Order: sequence, then C-alpha cells, then structure tokens
Amino acid sequence: MERSEVRRLYALALFLLGAYALPFLVGASQGTVHLNERWLGNLATVVVGGLMQGGVYAMFAVGLTLIFGVMRIINAAHGEMVMMGAYLTWVCFFYLGLDPLLSMVLTLPVAFLFGVAVQKLLLNAAVGAPELTGLLITFGLGLVMIYTAELIFTTDFRTIPYAPGTVRLTSTIAVGRNRLVSFVLAVVISMAVFLFLKLTRLGKAVRATALNAEVALVCGINVRRIYLVTTGLAAALAAAGGALVSIQFGFNPETGVVYTLQAFAIIILGGRGHYVGALIGGVMLAVLENLVSLMVPNGTAMVELAAYGLMIAVLLIRPGGLMGVKEG
Amino acid sequence: MNTAALRAVAVFLLTLCVVAGGPAWAGHRGGNEVVIGGAISMTGQYAEPAGRQVNSIKLWVDDVNGRGGLLGHRIALRLLDDKSDTQTAIKLYEKLITEDKVDLVLCPYSSGITEAVANVTERYKMPLVAYGASASTIWEKGRRYIFNIVSVAENFQKGSVHLAKQVGVTKLAIISQDSLFPRQAAKGAKDWAKKLGMDVVLEENYPPKQMDFTALLQKVKAAGAEAIISNSYFADAAAQLRQMREQSLNFKLYSSTVGPALPNFAEQLGPTAEYILGFSLWEPLPAVFGYPGMKEFIDAYEKRYHEKPNYHAGSAYGALQVTEAAVKKAGGFDGEKLREAMATIEVTTIFGRYKVDAKGMNEHEGITFQILRGQRRVVWPEKWAETKAELPMPEWSKR
Repeated sequence: MERSEVRRLYALALFLLGAYALPFLVGASQGTVHLNERWLGNLATVVVGGLMQGGVYAMFAVGLTLIFGVMRIINAAHGEMVMMGAYLTWVCFFYLGLDPLLSMVLTLPVAFLFGVAVQKLLLNAAVGAPELTGLLITFGLGLVMIYTAELIFTTDFRTIPYAPGTVRLTSTIAVGRNRLVSFVLAVVISMAVFLFLKLTRLGKAVRATALNAEVALVCGINVRRIYLVTTGLAAALAAAGGALVSIQFGFNPETGVVYTLQAFAIIILGGRGHYVGALIGGVMLAVLENLVSLMVPNGTAMVELAAYGLMIAVLLIRPGGLMGVKEG
Repeated sequence: MNTAALRAVAVFLLTLCVVAGGPAWAGHRGGNEVVIGGAISMTGQYAEPAGRQVNSIKLWVDDVNGRGGLLGHRIALRLLDDKSDTQTAIKLYEKLITEDKVDLVLCPYSSGITEAVANVTERYKMPLVAYGASASTIWEKGRRYIFNIVSVAENFQKGSVHLAKQVGVTKLAIISQDSLFPRQAAKGAKDWAKKLGMDVVLEENYPPKQMDFTALLQKVKAAGAEAIISNSYFADAAAQLRQMREQSLNFKLYSSTVGPALPNFAEQLGPTAEYILGFSLWEPLPAVFGYPGMKEFIDAYEKRYHEKPNYHAGSAYGALQVTEAAVKKAGGFDGEKLREAMATIEVTTIFGRYKVDAKGMNEHEGITFQILRGQRRVVWPEKWAETKAELPMPEWSKR
C-alpha cells in the first residue's frame, strides 16, 4: 500500500470518528444526553433500529450496484422495481391471501423474469454505449412503470395490514419482528450474492464480464446470458426490498423515486459495484441518521443534511467510496 | 401518395382546423346562457381529492339547470385540467377570463395552486369561494376577491388537543412533516395546547421522505410526552404507528391530520390503526349534522358516482351553493356586486354555515373522529359526537 493511501485511510477513520461523535457532543451541550440506564436503553434501541433499517436500505442498493458493476449502467428505474415488488406483494396479500414474506416465493421469480425482459428489450442496447444512454433508457422505463401502476392501482396510498410483533432483545431494547426478518434477509442475500460472485462458475463469469466484457467474450463466456442473469437478479432483489416496504411503510406509484435516491446514495458511499460495501453503507447511513435524530434538537429535520454530508465528505477523502477500488 | 392517403390527410387537416377553431366559438353564447369556468387537477398528484370536487361541480351544474338555471340563465360549464401544476393553472385562468370571457370562475384544488390563481382572479376582479385551500396565509395578504369555506389548517388538531386535555394529558409532543400545511397545523396545535394549559415537551419536524421514526419516537418518549400530535399524511402516519407498535411504545393518544381521513387508511393498516384520532372537514352523516338538503345531495351523488361523497366533494358543493346564493343577492354577475354579496351573505349549505370575517375567512367547524373497529366515528365536538372517544388508547400488549 502506498503511503498516500495509508494517510487517506487514517484521514477517513478520523473523519468517521468525528462524524459519529458530533451528535453526542451536540446532545451533551444541549442536555439531551443522560448517562442513566433509561437513556442508554434509548440509545441502544436507536442504534439497533438503525442497524436493522440499514439492512433494508442495503436490500435496495445491492441490486443497483450489481447492474452498475457488470454493465456500467445506472438503473434509474430501480426504485420503480422496488415499487413493483411492493404492489406484487400487495396483490398476493389482498387477492390470494398470502403472507407478505411467504409471497416472495411467487413474486421474486416474476420480478426475475421482468428483469430478463427489460435486459432483452431495452438494456442490451445501452451496454457499452455512453453512460447517459442507459440512464435515459431506464429513466423512461421508470416513467412508464409509474404511469402503468397509476392506471391499474390509482394514486391512492396502499399498505398491508401486517401487525408487527415485538422482539425484546433485553428489557430496554425492543425491535419489530419484521425489521429483524428484513435485516437477516438483507444480510443473507448480500452475502449470498457476494459468495455467488466469488465462488461459483457463473459468478466468476459475471465478475470477468464486469472487468472486461470483450476479454470475457474471447474466453468463451456467454456475455449476453450473464447480462440477463444480472438484471434478473437485480430486479428480484428490488422486489424483495419492495415486499419489506409493503409491510413497513405506505406506498403509491410515485414513491419509487425515494428508493432510487436512497439506493444511489448508499452505493456511492459503500463503493460502486461493491456488494458488502452496500450493506456497510446502508447501515452507516441509517445509524448516523438515527443518532442525529435522537440527540440533536429538531434533529429529525436535519437527517438528510447529515446523510448527504457524510456521503460528500467520504467521497472527498476516498473518491471510490468506502470499499471502492481506486479509480484509475 | 395514393388517393386514400391524400383523403386521410385532408380529413386530418380539416379536423385540426375545427379543433383549433373550437375555443374561438366557445366564447359565443346564446342570449340566455352564462359560462362558468375553472381549471382543476384532473390528472397529477391532486387528481384523487380534486376529482371528487369535479364530481360535485358537475352535479351542481345539472341541479341548477334542472331548476331552471341561474337567474333564469342556463349554465354552460367550461372545466379544464391544470395537471396539478401551478404554472398551467395560472395560464388557464388568464385564458378563461380574457379569451373565453367566463361570467363566473370556479376554484382550483390545493392551497398552493389556489394562492397562485388568486393573484389572477384578483387582477380581473373576479370573486370566488375557495373549497380546496386551508392555508390561512392566502387570506392574510389583503386580497379582496377570494373567500374560503373550509377550516384553516391551524384548527385541524383543535379537537384532538381538547380530547387530550379531557383524558388528563399534561405533556404533548408535536411532530410534523416539514412542509407548509403540516407546519401551520402544528402552529395551531401548539396554540391550543397553550390555551388549555398543557406542556409541549417536544416539537420536531421531519423531511417529507422520512421512513424511519425509531429515533424520533424514542426521543418523544424520553421527553416524557403522554400523547403525540402528528401533522402527517398517509405514508408517514402509517410508519409512525407501525414503529410505535414494533417498539411497544404506548401513548394515551395519537392523532394525525390527513392520513386517517383517507378512505382506505383503516382498511389498509388494519389493527394498528385502531383507536387513533383523525380530522375531517365534513362527513356524509345527515343525521349528525342536519344541514338542509344534505341527504338529497348525498343520495344524488351516490346514485351518480357509486360512492359516498367525502369532504372534498362536500366542500365544493357547499361553496357552489354559496356562489348561487350570492349571485341571486347581487342580482347579476357584476364582479363588484358579487364580491359584496359573498362578503356579507350568511347562508347554511349542505357543508355547514357560511359567514366570512373581514379577511374573507369562514369559521367552518370540522370534526375529530376516532377509528374504532375499522370505522371512523365522530367523537368531537360533543354536539356532533356519534360515540364517546375510547381514550386513553389501550397498550399494544393488551390488544
């Protein structure tokens, strides 16, 4: 490792320490930090809650980073795919009476096929083209998805009457069962994608394609098929995120864009094209947001400032993101 | 190009001429016709509530024409779509007033668009009664030609704060989405709490995109609040309630401004929505309110649109009844005389009593409801209560 790089890593560590200490300092000066058992319980709940929320964020982000890593396409319709997953789950619940988490067995294959179709019909034209082409194509796709959803489901908000049970970790820390499940799912899926890419033949082919599509082609890898698998997988991941959205929040056809932005911020922070980075980025953002919200007076109004501030600062110190490779 | 194709082109061009000529002819009217025009959001983000107002507008026009018209004139309706966009609305109102020369103007939907359009109608001295705007700031800038029929945002939480007082709450938390209408509602809630001698122990805003309320809810609890006054819409109210339940955080009372009043909130959220309070400007309950003509309006609306009118539909119909009464009092469509009539008239519509103050604001009284066994039941004010509020809310673990 070069000396300048080591120095940058120290700078990053110092900065992160400062960023996470800041809410505590502000809280201490404003008298919102109390070192008693009750307050520490609050703090622990909030940190654990952030961890869990980060898992859900990461679920959105892994799919986005996958497409970017392999094809260098920024999928602007990613949030709309999340929304599609939410509506699929909603339909399964209200018309087929399926449990929202169980219905993934049905919705993920549907989403996978949707992803394959999108790749075949639209994205193949954008691979290798300037980055703007892919962005515009997926942006258009997103609009078509929004207005199709409005035609079918109207602009009314929906959610699923799923009453979350509580899991008590200790006497003071309580987490929703659905969050715990979401978090475990997100970790398992991120790890599975990571291992799939590291260990399996198909995964190695995906990575080879990501590194250099032409050389992969020469080596006998069916690059077109790799692209199909990638987009299918990404759409399925988005749909899994959508299922979790449908049981936690309300959604309508226009809410997808929120998830695109969220996922985008996370992969920039974690390192573009890096899967574990997405998980770490998601957790870091969510925990920081929660700390600011808990301790800074009127802090909830500033969570976006904190989140994007963190993102910009990390990029200044380390342009490739936390886990990113050095950009050449 | 063959003959058939040429003919097709000719037909197309002719059609274009007819379509383009249309608006020019629309200004013409028979001697016995008045043109009432307006632009309202038929598409875009406001399409859901504004669409219900369009229903009421059409119903009213047919009602009046059925009774022999307005002062004996048949009404021709000229309704355009502003696509939920302020700039489009401004352009359309300019056109309606200067080109189409409408005799009366209708209102758009939402506080934002209404305020922008009010600048146009003010310039041409066209009076109107707003039925889709509740931000009081519209009436605080000395405008003379706009009047309102609905409650101001500051009163949306009035009932909930009173109910909190009744069940012995002394410490309140007020949380609000960071945009104009919720902030105004928060301001009102704070003033009411102060008047009733309660402590606001936490006041906090959150960005419109916020999904995770874990930390905010912990903060509310740590501040010692016994009740939450939440100035929120659907997605945020749903997330707050779910996360309260997840973390087993119990409060004596939870109230949200807009979310619970949307038709499918209780159904979509199920047991988590039970016992919470919400606000409505009006409900289709003739037995409760007893306003003249209310039952007939509800029946006619339901027959035509196959659903019960909600408060958006009610406020639009009520405002048009006021307009009708004002036209009769003024004896014509002269802007100045009509303004005078709208400013001084006192009339009870299907939506309630209308009598504006010097600023042009009506003191409409809304209702607070509680979701009980999946139904919205009026619990405040007492004179209209269908049932007694079941407060404090039972703890999550005991449901």
